[in-house]
Amino acid sequence: MKPRILTGLKVLYLALHFVIMVFPLYWIVITSLKPQKDIFSFPLQYWPKQFTLDNYIQIFKISKFHIYIFNSLLVAVLAAAIVIFIATLSAYVMARFQFRGHKQIMMAFFVTQMLPGFIALAPLYLLMADLDLINSRMSLIICYTVMLIPFSTIMLRGFFQRVPSSLEEAAMIDGCSRLTALLRVIIPVMLPGIASTFIFAFVQNWNELFMAVMFIDDEALKTLPVAMNSFVMKFDVDWGAMSAGTVLSVIPTVVLFAFAQRFIVEGLTQGAEKG
Amino acid sequence: MFGKPMKTWMLSALTAVMVFTLTTACSSSNDGKKPDSGSKEKVITLRMIESLTSPSRTALIKASIDKFMAQNTNIKVELISPPFDQADNKIRTMLAAKQPLDVLEVRDLNVAEFVNNNYVEPLNDYTGSWSDFGTVTAVAKSVASVKDKLYFIPNGLYQRQLFYRADWLKEAGINAPVTYEELVNASVKLTDAAKNRYGFSFRGGPGANGVPDTLIQAYDADKINVDDAMFLKDGGTIYSSPEAKTALDLYVKLYKEGSPPDSINWGFQEQVQAFTSGVTAFLLQDPDVIQVLGENMQEGTWATAPMPTGPSGKAMISAGGAGWGITSHSENKEAAWKLITFLSSPEENTQLSKSHGTVPIHSSATEDEFFQKGPYKTLLDMTNKPDTFINFKPPFEYPANGQWGTVAMESGQAMLLGQTSVEDTLTKWNEYWAKAKADMNK
Amino acid sequence: MIALRKQRTYILLSLLPALVLLLIFTFYPFLQGVVMAFQNYVLFDLTNVRFIGFQNFVTAFQDAKFLKAMTNSAYWVFFSLTFQFLIGLSLALILRKPFKGRGVYQGFIFYSWALSGFLIGLIWKWMFNSQMGVINDLLMRIGLIDTRIGFLSDPDWAMSSVIIANVWYGIAFFAIMLLAALQSVPADLYEAADMDGAGSIRKFVNVTFPFILPTIIATTLLRAIWIFNDPTIIYGLTNGGPAGTTHILSSLMLDKIIYGGDYGMASAIGVTMIGILILYTIFYLFVTKSEKVGDF
Repeated sequence: MKPRILTGLKVLYLALHFVIMVFPLYWIVITSLKPQKDIFSFPLQYWPKQFTLDNYIQIFKISKFHIYIFNSLLVAVLAAAIVIFIATLSAYVMARFQFRGHKQIMMAFFVTQMLPGFIALAPLYLLMADLDLINSRMSLIICYTVMLIPFSTIMLRGFFQRVPSSLEEAAMIDGCSRLTALLRVIIPVMLPGIASTFIFAFVQNWNELFMAVMFIDDEALKTLPVAMNSFVMKFDVDWGAMSAGTVLSVIPTVVLFAFAQRFIVEGLTQGAEKG
Repeated sequence: MFGKPMKTWMLSALTAVMVFTLTTACSSSNDGKKPDSGSKEKVITLRMIESLTSPSRTALIKASIDKFMAQNTNIKVELISPPFDQADNKIRTMLAAKQPLDVLEVRDLNVAEFVNNNYVEPLNDYTGSWSDFGTVTAVAKSVASVKDKLYFIPNGLYQRQLFYRADWLKEAGINAPVTYEELVNASVKLTDAAKNRYGFSFRGGPGANGVPDTLIQAYDADKINVDDAMFLKDGGTIYSSPEAKTALDLYVKLYKEGSPPDSINWGFQEQVQAFTSGVTAFLLQDPDVIQVLGENMQEGTWATAPMPTGPSGKAMISAGGAGWGITSHSENKEAAWKLITFLSSPEENTQLSKSHGTVPIHSSATEDEFFQKGPYKTLLDMTNKPDTFINFKPPFEYPANGQWGTVAMESGQAMLLGQTSVEDTLTKWNEYWAKAKADMNK
Repeated sequence: MIALRKQRTYILLSLLPALVLLLIFTFYPFLQGVVMAFQNYVLFDLTNVRFIGFQNFVTAFQDAKFLKAMTNSAYWVFFSLTFQFLIGLSLALILRKPFKGRGVYQGFIFYSWALSGFLIGLIWKWMFNSQMGVINDLLMRIGLIDTRIGFLSDPDWAMSSVIIANVWYGIAFFAIMLLAALQSVPADLYEAADMDGAGSIRKFVNVTFPFILPTIIATTLLRAIWIFNDPTIIYGLTNGGPAGTTHILSSLMLDKIIYGGDYGMASAIGVTMIGILILYTIFYLFVTKSEKVGDF
C-alpha cells in the first residue's frame, strides 16, 4: 500500500512538472498556427478556431528563413566541431600530465567563466575589424569556438580521467605515437562524452544573439537568432512569425537531443563520476 | 625513430594551419566587398545602414534601392538592417570602429551624439544641387538640423495624435476628448477592471517621458519658450511652474484610475497591443502605428483626434523624424548623396510614407488625396491651426536628452508606484534640466 | 631525456591552440574592457575619453540603483539556483529508474534548455502580461484569482516573476547533470546498504548523496556564476523595471551599454561583478572543503 502511494505521488509530481514545462511550448505552437488577427483576440483561444500555416509560409517567403537556418547550422556545427578538436587536445594533456603551470592554466580556464561578456564586446568588435573579419561567418565561428573552449576542456578532462591510462600506454607500446593512440584508442571509448560536449556547444552556438547582431551585416550571412530578433519591432512583436520561428529553431536541438540522449546520459555519467 | 615525433608535430601543425586558414578564409571572403580598385568598369559600392527596422519597411527600402541601382549601374548599394532594438547600438559601434559605411539612418534622438563625435557630414553644401530640396518642409529641415546645419534628410516625420475606440465612446455616450482633462475623465469612466477594459493605453516603460512632458508643456503653453521648449520664457524649466504640478497630478490620476496597472512597465509594443486587442480605449501615438491598427482592427472601430489641449486651449506639438545622412569618413560622398536624393525624392518619399505610415517631407505631397482623409486628416488639421497647436522643436540638441528617457522613466515609475511624491519628482526633473542647460552653455 | 622532451613538446603543442585563442579573443579584449572602468568613456562624447581613476566605482557605489541591483543579484542567484537544483534533483531521483515512455517524457521536459535566453524572456513577458497574457487568463478561468496580477509591474511580484522564468529555464540543466551522476552510482554500494537494512532515506543520505556530491559542488558553483552573469532573461522580461526593482548587476551593466552608451560605468560594474565572483568562489570552495580550484 505504501509504495503505491509513493508511486502515485511521483506520477502526480511528474505530471505537474510536465504541464508546467510543456505549456509555454504548447502556447507557442498553437500561436504559430493561428491567423494573425486571432493571436491577440479576446477571449484568448486555447485551441485555434482556424488553423493556418501562413506564419510558416511567411517566414520563408519574406524572411528567407532557409538562409538563416543554413547559416546557423553551418556556424554552430563548425564551431562546435572545432571546439571539440581543440578542447580534446588540451583536456587530454590536462588530464594526463602534471607540469609547471598546470594549476594556473586550469585557473585561467575557470576564470573565463566569470567574465561578463558584454564588457569585452566593443573591444572584440574593434579586434574583429582590425583582423578584417567583420561581416564574415568566420568571426562568429572563432568567437563561439573561443567562448566554449574553457568549459569544454573542463568537461572533457573529466571524461579523460575516467579512461585508464593503461589503455593508451598499451597502444604506445605497440608503436603508436601518443596522438595516434589518443585518436585511435581513447577517442572511441570517449564518444559518449564527446557527443554530450558537442551538443552542449552546439546549443550555445545555435542560440547566440548579441555577437551575431554585431559582427554580421549581410542579409545572406545572418543567423537564426538575429532573424528572430527582427520580429521585435517598434510597435509590435510579430508573434505569428516569432512563434513559427521558435518552433523551427527548437527542432534541430530537440532532434539532436533525442537522437543522442543515450550518449549524453552515458557520457555525462562517466564525466559525473569523476565529478 | 624520427617518425613518431614528426607525425605528432605535423598533426599539431595542422591544427595551427587549420586555425590560420579559417582565420584568413574569412578575410578573403570580405575582399570582394571592398570598393574595387583594379577592375575595368569602376563600380562604387555604397554601404548603408537603417535603424528603425521592420521586415516590411526593409522590403520597401530595398525596392527603392533596386530602382536606384537599375538607374545607376555604376553604383552598388549594400543595405544593412539590424534588429530594431539593437540597431542604434550597432550603428554606434560601427561608427566608433570606422567601419566602411556611407549612408546611415540618423534619428532625432541621436543626431546630437553623431554630430558631437563628428560622425556625420553636414549636408548644407550638397543641397544646392538637389532640385527637389525646395519642397522639403520647414519642419523636416528643422528636425534634421543641429545649430543651423543640416545633417540628414528625413525619410518621414512622426507626429503624435490621439487614437480612440470610436465604438466604445459611442456606446458610452462620450465625445472624443479635446482637452487632457476630458481625456482623463473619459479614461476613468471607461475603466472597468472586471471586464479587463481600461481607458488609456499608458506607457510607463521605455519612452515613458513622452506623455508627461507634452502634458506639462500643454499646461505651460502660455509661458513656454517655443525655441527652447524644455524651458519657460523666464528661464526656468517647464517643471518649475505651478501648472506643472497640476499637470503631473492629472498624469498620476490617468495612470491610477484610467489605465491598466500593468502598464507601468509597458513600452511601445504592449501599449499598441492593448489598444488593438480591445483592452484600452485611448492611445497617443505616431502615425506609423496606423498600419498596425489597420491590420489588427476592424474598420470603423477606431478613429483619430488631434492632440488634447491644456486649460488655455492650446497644445504644444512637435515632429520627430529619422532620415538618411552621410558618414564623415565615407569615401563616396557624391554617390551617397545621389542615393539620398533618390530616396528622398517626392515620388519615393511619398510612397514610403503611404506604405509605412509617416508624414511625407515634401509640401507637394500633402496635396495628395491620400493624406487628406482618414487618420492623416487630423495631422493636417493640426498643422492648419498653428495657434492652437503650437509647434516646437524637441530638445534634441542637448546632450542630456539622450539619458532623459531613462531618467524620466525610472523616477516616473517610482512616482506612479507612490514611492516618491509628485513634488519631489518635479524637483528632480527640474534639477536635471537646469543642469542640462548649464552643461550645454559651458 | 628525449622522451621527456618529446613529452614536453607534446604538452605544449596540445595546449597551444586553446591558449593562443583564449589570449587573443578573450583575455586581450577583456583587458581593454577593464581599462574602460577607469575611464570617462561615454559614447556620446568620444572626444572626451580620459582616465578618471576610481570615479566610476565611487559613482556606482553611491547610486541607490546599483546597491539595489547588488541585493537583487543575491536574491536572483540564491532563489534561482536553489529551486533549479531542488526540482532538478527531485526529477533526477524519480527518473533514475527506467519506465515506459521515459525517453519521450525527458524530451518534453528538457527542451527549455534548448531555447535562448532572449526567447525565454520574450515568451514569458508575453505570458506574464496582466491584461493580454495567458497566465492571468488561465488563473482566472480556473478560479484561482479574481483580480489580475501584475506579475511584472507590481514591485511585490516582479522579482519573483523573473525568478520563476529563470527557474523554468534552468531546471533541465540540473536534471540532466544529476540524472547522469545518479546513474553512475555503483550498484554494489546499494546492495551493501540493503544488507545493512537501510531505508530509502538512509540510502540517499549515506550512499547516493556522498557519491554525487562532487558533481553537485561543481555544477552549483558553475551554475551560480552563469546565473549571476547572464542578463538576457531580465533584459527581455522587464529590463530592470518597474523603477529598477528587478535590475541585477549584469542587466544594469547591459542597460548602461545599450541605453546609455556609458562603457566606463558598465565596465566598472563588470569589474565589481568579477570581484564578487572571485570572493564567492573562494568562499564556496572553502565552505564545501573542495580545495582544488577549477579542478573538476
